[in-house]
Amino acid sequence: MNDVSHIIQFLFSGITTGSIYALIAVSLVIVYKASQLICFAQGEFFVFGALSMITLTSKGLPMPIAFFAAVFISVCIGSLIQQVLIKPIQGSSVGNLIVMTIAISLALRGLALIIWGRESYILNPYTKGEPLFVFGASLQIQVLWIVGITILVLLIIWYFFEKTSLGIAMRACAENPLGASLMGISVQKSALFAWAWGAGIGALAGAVVAPLLFIQYTSGVMPMIKGFIAMSIGGLGSIAGSVMAGFLLGLVESYTIGLISSKFSDTIVFALLMLVLIFRPNGLFSKS
Amino acid sequence: MRKLAVFILIAFFAISIFPAGSYAQAQKVYKIGGIFSLTGYLSWLGEYKKKAAELKVELINKAGGINGIPLQLISYDDTSSPEQASKVAQRLISKDNVVAMAGTASVPISGAVASMANRYKIPTIINSGYAVDTAKDPFLFNTSHKTDFAVVTAFRYFQKKGITKLALLMPIGPLGELGSNVARKYAQEYKITIVGEEKFDVKAPDVTSQLAKIRTMNPQAVFSFTTGEPAALIARNMEQLNLKVPFLVSHGNANPGFLKLVANINTEILVPSGKVMKPDALSDNDPTKKKILEFNKSHMEKYKEPANYFSAELADAIDLIVEGLKITKSADPVKLRDAIEGIKNYPAMQGVYTFTAKDHHGTKPDDMILLTIKQGKWEIPK
Amino acid sequence: MKILSRFWWILPIIFIAIYPFTLGGNSPYKSGVLIFVGIYIILAVSLDLLIGYCGQISIGHAAFFAVGAYTSGILTAKYGVHPMFAMLIGMLISTALAWATGRPVLALKEYYLAMATLAFNEIVITLIIGLEGFTGGASGLGDIPPFKIFGFSLVNHIHYYYFVWIIVFFIIAGSLAVVKSSFGRTLIAIHSDEPAARHFGIDSPRYKTRLFMLSSAFASIAGSLYAHYMGFIAPDDFGVISSVNIMVMLYLGGIGTIYGPILGATFMKILPEITYQFQDYELLINGIILIIVLVFMPKGIYGIILKAINRVLRKV
Repeated sequence: MNDVSHIIQFLFSGITTGSIYALIAVSLVIVYKASQLICFAQGEFFVFGALSMITLTSKGLPMPIAFFAAVFISVCIGSLIQQVLIKPIQGSSVGNLIVMTIAISLALRGLALIIWGRESYILNPYTKGEPLFVFGASLQIQVLWIVGITILVLLIIWYFFEKTSLGIAMRACAENPLGASLMGISVQKSALFAWAWGAGIGALAGAVVAPLLFIQYTSGVMPMIKGFIAMSIGGLGSIAGSVMAGFLLGLVESYTIGLISSKFSDTIVFALLMLVLIFRPNGLFSKS
Repeated sequence: MRKLAVFILIAFFAISIFPAGSYAQAQKVYKIGGIFSLTGYLSWLGEYKKKAAELKVELINKAGGINGIPLQLISYDDTSSPEQASKVAQRLISKDNVVAMAGTASVPISGAVASMANRYKIPTIINSGYAVDTAKDPFLFNTSHKTDFAVVTAFRYFQKKGITKLALLMPIGPLGELGSNVARKYAQEYKITIVGEEKFDVKAPDVTSQLAKIRTMNPQAVFSFTTGEPAALIARNMEQLNLKVPFLVSHGNANPGFLKLVANINTEILVPSGKVMKPDALSDNDPTKKKILEFNKSHMEKYKEPANYFSAELADAIDLIVEGLKITKSADPVKLRDAIEGIKNYPAMQGVYTFTAKDHHGTKPDDMILLTIKQGKWEIPK
Repeated sequence: MKILSRFWWILPIIFIAIYPFTLGGNSPYKSGVLIFVGIYIILAVSLDLLIGYCGQISIGHAAFFAVGAYTSGILTAKYGVHPMFAMLIGMLISTALAWATGRPVLALKEYYLAMATLAFNEIVITLIIGLEGFTGGASGLGDIPPFKIFGFSLVNHIHYYYFVWIIVFFIIAGSLAVVKSSFGRTLIAIHSDEPAARHFGIDSPRYKTRLFMLSSAFASIAGSLYAHYMGFIAPDDFGVISSVNIMVMLYLGGIGTIYGPILGATFMKILPEITYQFQDYELLINGIILIIVLVFMPKGIYGIILKAINRVLRKV
């Protein structure tokens, strides 16, 4: 029982953490695909999504409604930020835009501090239940929710970007803004939608991951960095790639901890990341 | 629009440069500096410390101050960063001219402040895992119980219960280093074998990989010298993996926030603590009982929650500084340091303090108790 | 007026020179504020050479800051090495690291380069924490003695203040010289159009690596100055967050200008000294101020000042 069970435990641990990284990576990629911008404030949408849902459920709202409400709130915040702060400086250099999103993330974090204070909050898992036991390794049920919702989100994204005219228009804008606008597609609307999507998915990630963690106003920083790493491994423009990379990152982490060293696992993971970047610069899963 | 924005910014700065009330005060007052982590990853405990310090100063002033002279607490946020802590320590020392400082929530922050305290010779009472070596840090005192005491208190309990195999799951960071070293130091004395050690990242969302490895070592207990969310996460993951052994954490978890975090978790958690957390379990001739009950009452009145381990650390720090000031009757920091070092048999909340030239912690292992959590309340384990 | 525009830089130098005795009021705290400003100016300027002139984005600059700080710290605190020598060794190690990682890393583009530099930063930090017996680990490294110039120990805050600012001056002057030299012009050519530059026979990897080495050496100097000033260092202040902060200083001040990062570093290090009065709201206010500056001053503070000066000069 021993050997198999803990090899599988490492697998489950990797899937658990990987699912978090994958969702954040997706939210980052969506914003990038549609507006060529990396949003450093995604971590704060994660926190807002989680904390909003916690507050709403504690006020008596049923979980599903609280979930959608939390996502909706972040979508509104994201859209507002895009219109008021990003649009005016849209022509600026990449660096300027990145720093603006950093400033936004600071402000949002400060806002979260004022609204929710310094304490950590817990959220009950969506469904009650003992963890699943497979060959002696256990997996929390909430992880099934996360994986399930991630798949659902991917399907919705795929459908939107491949099948709806708005989605196709947004992709056109990302690939060729000038050409797209010449064709009458509104680049402005596209950027707005990108942010709305990104904020929504970020918040969704927070809401569905919250039962695994203890959320406080600074909880967004780590997921953001890991999501960023996953996106880089998977290829900046590839949604499927970043999802796979997110899970891959989680698995590499947990197997390194399990089989090699828990003390130097971070060092090893980052060294591997550097190697991937140097030898497969466009990401492991992109086409070029 | 642009001009307006620039103008507003300039006006904002112009106004802010005139700091509130730092013009020389005619009346005499003793100024104490508080260095608290109010933002950043340590902010959840910084708030407990600041509240306790403010309450204590209020109580002392209500009782007439020190020989009629009031106490003033000037506190700043170190943003959980050693660099910022170093800066605010400097601000307190040379801008606010404090006679003593208190606070600091973590080992590196204590270290950064210690550097300034020693350089400018200002007595400073820290409260973290930082072990004060009086040869290097003569101006530092520490009202946090030594890590050794926490471990010894727990190991005595393990010995009583026949627990001999202990696994370590230590956080990457100063607490992990401390916990591991101290556990190994006392293992043999209490007939405990450390069957293995794993490390984890405090920001990690899951530690089941490490726990799976630990489970193969067949431990009778798990020790993680970690505080707050990571401790709660390990407890939750242990429950998930059906690892049904007692889980020992750091004494930094003796606060109401931790109870909330582990509310739905069924793992048996052991928390070393100061006596402040369970005054009703103390005998009436325990010298700390009176002070604990009094302070607890005021703390409940003002903040609607009982005092916790961090509150006691700060309340004692202020108390000790006040005792020193009563002796020196002056705002000379060097004399104050000597006065504090000379304090013997002084009962406060964390214990009865006796300082010597070699010992600036002042308390003993018996000043700690071991707690466990049952139905959301602190209990003494049988 | 012409004299003013040619020699305007004498004014800030005079301000810095007389600060400790005027606004600084002989207070260690006030000198300290400007000492930190000086150290971060070195970091920001060295990063500007990399990002602003060479176009190589880096969110791992604090790694070299750490190398300098820890080399100086460990050698002087644990082995009694002379601070000047330790600082030199720190620079050598930094430069060597930059040389070793320069070629492969600098060949990457944009976000991938950013990620590689982030990974590099994290590797350095995790190693500092992991090798605790040597570096003090996450608990930090203390007892770092004050800097010594040959036999003279810089214990007094005013002495250290001047020492730091003399170094700052040389680094600024040096950076300006590099930028205006043919080496600098080659780099700008590489930045604006690398394929074209290579087409004309410029060995761009070599130039980029050389600049990376110079930039890392400067950051290492800043690290040594920092270690001797604080007397204690911990990995907390050398992580990716710090690297990002330095990058923010750059963009705030105006990249590719050398003067811009000076303004940016000054702003970012002085701002908390003003907003601390707002306590709980400090984080929110800092974010909002940053946003205001970014929205209304897209070319950075330096850009605004230049515009204002031009307007004034035109009226004169």
